Amino acid sequence: MARVLVVDDAAFMRKVVSDALASGGHEVVGQAGNGEEAVERFQELRPELTTLDITMPQKDGLAALADIMAIDPGARVLMCSALGQESKVIESIKLGAKDFVVKPFQPTRLLEAVGKALS
Amino acid sequence: MSHQDVTPREALMRLGGSTAEAVAQVLETFVPGAVERGDVTVISDGQSPFQNIPPGSLASSVSYIDGVTGANIFVMAPAGARALAVAMGVPPESKLDEDLSELELSAVAEAANQTMAAAASAISLVIGQEIEISPPDTKVLAGPAAAADAYGKAPHAISTTFLIAGESCRLIQLVPAAFVMRMVRAIDELSMQSAAGADGVSNSGHAAEGDLPETLGVEEALGGIELRVWAELGRTKLPLGAALELPLGAVVDLDRAADAPVDLFVNGLRFAQGHLLVTDDGEWAIVIDEIGGRRSDAEPAELAAAFPESPKQGVAI
Repeated sequence: MARVLVVDDAAFMRKVVSDALASGGHEVVGQAGNGEEAVERFQELRPELTTLDITMPQKDGLAALADIMAIDPGARVLMCSALGQESKVIESIKLGAKDFVVKPFQPTRLLEAVGKALS
Repeated sequence: MSHQDVTPREALMRLGGSTAEAVAQVLETFVPGAVERGDVTVISDGQSPFQNIPPGSLASSVSYIDGVTGANIFVMAPAGARALAVAMGVPPESKLDEDLSELELSAVAEAANQTMAAAASAISLVIGQEIEISPPDTKVLAGPAAAADAYGKAPHAISTTFLIAGESCRLIQLVPAAFVMRMVRAIDELSMQSAAGADGVSNSGHAAEGDLPETLGVEEALGGIELRVWAELGRTKLPLGAALELPLGAVVDLDRAADAPVDLFVNGLRFAQGHLLVTDDGEWAIVIDEIGGRRSDAEPAELAAAFPESPKQGVAI
């Protein structure tokens, strides 16, 4: 079971992701609502896994991912993308993301991806 | 269909239809069995797409920030927004006469975000270019005039109605003129490609004259892919040290007799067995004796004739 930072600009999605992680026995140690906050919270909390939305205000998920990987090249990051963001998903994998889930997703799919990212 | 046959109105109807279909599919994941898609309407010049919007309606919009310009706005009456939020799993937090809670607003905005992303994906398929959308912007509208002030005017607008959990909602698309031209061009190109592809199929004899398929079958679509094919005479194992010290002229024994069949591999999959031939041109060839466990009782010469690229004359070894 892992300590997880949940990043999404929608409070609703942060709740959905957090509830799914909790149901899988993981501990949500923090949440962030944009990319800038995500990098700050990552620096502060050093979670074992970060779930990262792509489309966010101020700093998007790709820019935040690049910053997080610069802080810790071994960081485990799971991207959450909406439909039609295939090129960004590929870019995020190149930047070091471990896996991605496409919204809307079922909790089981999220937990499966989390397990894979942590393995 | 030629370029001249596609009118801006038809392009807008197609845009609205593709978008509505994508939106309905995503909404269905949030509210299974409770989404009904209504009509797509191209708003006439001079009319406001926001007319008849009830005061207090919630509008969640995304803009295209890459690829094309324009905006999609999902408008819900308060009851509809509340019903959607509840269907998405948000416990009812606000009373009917109260404003929606932050979590309810967030759920509705997220639904709009995901539906608009799906819509952008559908449009990108039509115009052949990926479209990036902005984060959603959600606001409460005082009425039609306030909505028109908030979103401005566009040369074209499309409105599609939906029923979500029995509550009426509306998707409004504000479409710039340049985008309509791109849609017309894209549809025209798709039509020409479809016609060219159909001609190709017809010429190859796979389709009857005048009966051109709109899409290729799997075999026709994948049939042109080239695969690696190789034959394996036999195997053996050697310690690394022995392999490194093999001198020129060394003889390495394999695990098969000289007259044993050889294996034929296709992209790493053992596909068939056969026996070797030397062609008249002095090249190796294989006569297939067995495919996927099915053996043929035919004589080698008959088998060779069944495979046009196999040599018809050769020396069995």
